[in-house]
Amino acid sequence: MRRMTKAAAVMSVAALVLASAGCAKKSTDSAESSSGGDECVAEDSSKKVGMAYDVGGRGDQSFNDAAAKGMDKAACELGFTTSESEAQDGESEAAREGRLTEFADAGFNPVIAVGFAYSASVAKVAEQYPEVNFAIIDDEFAVADNIANLVFAEEQGSFLVGAAAALKTESDHIGFVGGVETPLINKFEAGYAAGAEAVNPDIEIDVTYLTQPPDFSGFNDPAKGKTAAEGMYDGGADVVYQAAGGSGGGVFEAATAADARAIGVDSDQYLTADESVRDVIITSMLKRVDVAVDTYLSDVDGGDVPTGLTRYDLEADGVGYSTSGGQVDDVKTDLEDFKAKIIDGSIKVPTKP
Amino acid sequence: MSVMTSSAGGGTEAPAKKRRITLPVVLLAIAGVFVLLSALRIITGVDELSSSGTLRATLVAAVPIGLAGLGGLWSERAGVVNIGLEGMMILGTFGAGYFGYFYGPWQGVLGAILLGAIGGLLHAVATVLFGVDHIVSGVAVNIIGLGAVQFLAALTFSGVPGGGATQSPGIDDLPAITIAAISDPLGDLEGKNWFVVSDVAALLRALVTDLSVLTLIALSLFVFTYWVLWRTSFGLRLRSCGESPAAAESLGINVIRYKLVAVIASGAFAGLAGGFLAMVASSSFRDGQTGGRGYIGLAAMIFGNWRPGGLLAGAGLFGYTDTLRLRGGGETIHGLLLLVAVLLVLVAIWQLRRGHRIAATVSGVLGVLIGVWFFLSESVPDDLTGMTPYVTTLLVLALASQRLRMPAADGKPYRKGSAG
Repeated sequence: MRRMTKAAAVMSVAALVLASAGCAKKSTDSAESSSGGDECVAEDSSKKVGMAYDVGGRGDQSFNDAAAKGMDKAACELGFTTSESEAQDGESEAAREGRLTEFADAGFNPVIAVGFAYSASVAKVAEQYPEVNFAIIDDEFAVADNIANLVFAEEQGSFLVGAAAALKTESDHIGFVGGVETPLINKFEAGYAAGAEAVNPDIEIDVTYLTQPPDFSGFNDPAKGKTAAEGMYDGGADVVYQAAGGSGGGVFEAATAADARAIGVDSDQYLTADESVRDVIITSMLKRVDVAVDTYLSDVDGGDVPTGLTRYDLEADGVGYSTSGGQVDDVKTDLEDFKAKIIDGSIKVPTKP
Repeated sequence: MSVMTSSAGGGTEAPAKKRRITLPVVLLAIAGVFVLLSALRIITGVDELSSSGTLRATLVAAVPIGLAGLGGLWSERAGVVNIGLEGMMILGTFGAGYFGYFYGPWQGVLGAILLGAIGGLLHAVATVLFGVDHIVSGVAVNIIGLGAVQFLAALTFSGVPGGGATQSPGIDDLPAITIAAISDPLGDLEGKNWFVVSDVAALLRALVTDLSVLTLIALSLFVFTYWVLWRTSFGLRLRSCGESPAAAESLGINVIRYKLVAVIASGAFAGLAGGFLAMVASSSFRDGQTGGRGYIGLAAMIFGNWRPGGLLAGAGLFGYTDTLRLRGGGETIHGLLLLVAVLLVLVAIWQLRRGHRIAATVSGVLGVLIGVWFFLSESVPDDLTGMTPYVTTLLVLALASQRLRMPAADGKPYRKGSAG
């Protein structure tokens, strides 16, 4: 019996070690893989920037990767020393606070939190470390003198790809697949619908969200994305816009199978998606998280630390649409028209569907 | 001692006396469901309820759940509760991603099975050899599976073109079967919207259009499991370990060995479920893509009363409601409300005839309320459609749970020599 207990104890310790190896991996082998070939400034160990990723982390080919790209660029050009760590799916508030506190304790300044999930933890940790500068992406509720809120006008970029969808559709029937029904993804939907209706007021738009909060698996479930998009294509839609993070790959697969078209999100997915599905992506709504991070770090380096709300919109080139693949070249003048009207204020894009 | 022996032999077959579920009964039930669905489609005008697209997607959604459930079935029939199915599935998704990308799709399938089986081995060693509580070990497997896969994925896919720390590049497709000669005429027939005929055409069309070979293999595994567990002496011995291990051991069965084999097989099935998810339902590994399907598989197994046929029905029901929600959204689910209302009223009448007044009243009132909801609204709000699969499962479980019977020694640690 005693031997059994001992063996069980050894097993559980081994299990814990393995499990924590899984959790604590990152933050070591990180920034060296950046912009190969370019001459980078030597790392300055007094300029330390810490980045806390959302679930998915570096390598998600989407949101987090865009933030990483911005940081890599700034690190290369300005000599920042970087460190990063990544959120786990379904982790607690305490885990997020711990991650930020660790950075602040180790002398990282500024600390960048990627994603609205960090809202409450940034507000709390920023209060405890008033001398450290924080930046949070996609959130405007954490407000303090040492917090910069970097947000985007996703609805404006979505408006343009919505207009592109309405101009390219042959059935006057398009679709939208959202990952999780949060206010953030609602902005994508609202802009997309407004853009499509600006071109054709009678257009039919299918809308599906893969999951409802607090179930965030909709951002990571390509099988669900595929099923939802298949339904739209079978129902007659011929262009589907996905704002579904990692589930978006399923939408592209469905588009390929149905010989229809799709629109990517966040980064230029014509360049990042798997080669077999590339041709269906007519454009992508660009959300330049990299621009925001790079700009923020340059400002910090210049001594003028930004605080408060900075909205990256069409005017600031914070959002936009991609043209790789050349499939929207024929409607580009219309899109540029809409873009100019949004920038000069004659079109107001709604943020709620 | 003698009591145990008798229960080991007769335990699983006991309900057979009352009402034996034979093949004609099953076919009749399927036909009944089909007529109901067809009627519902005609009445509500929601074609998505039984379109070939919906049925095909249902199959793809149901198979991973069903395979995970089969894993649970093997393990629990041998008396080991396996809540670690989710972790083994996660291992399977990575196995498919790693071997599928670097070596080829069939190697991916084998890799998924292999990694799942390793998860099963872990659970088997902990629960069977060391007597660890089954739930504790299962939770540990879930945590280890997730952690190990995140670690391994970062190690193997970082820097690979099209891949990253949380996802693999695209995996080549497994062969899929399309019989165009049958599929196209069936499509015309489906388009006619005839009562029952079009629905049957849609079902057949779903089966001959773009049907992955792995789907066929998965479905045959249900038959295989039934045959092995209920028609061979190996299966009888394995099940006796779940009903009364002491009696089994006294009859000379190596209980420990049977349990080990069952739990490792359980892991292999769960791994294949993960592999299917990564290779057929989508075409790459992605961190977190299982999304709780392992637990749902476990629920489907309980739903199916620890039998492969019932499990398949449970997985199908879950896959169907989830597919309807994803494909059609609120309007399609709205059509389903009518069916639920009618079924509840029927249940109420049935309960009343059996003299269960309270149960009858509850079902009746619920049925009428849902009927009123159907006629007063156009669509079901999105917040509620997400719950459809879970609510349906709960409803059916609530109506059927009195008839469920788990293996008698399920979840009880067993030590060699306990029979003495």
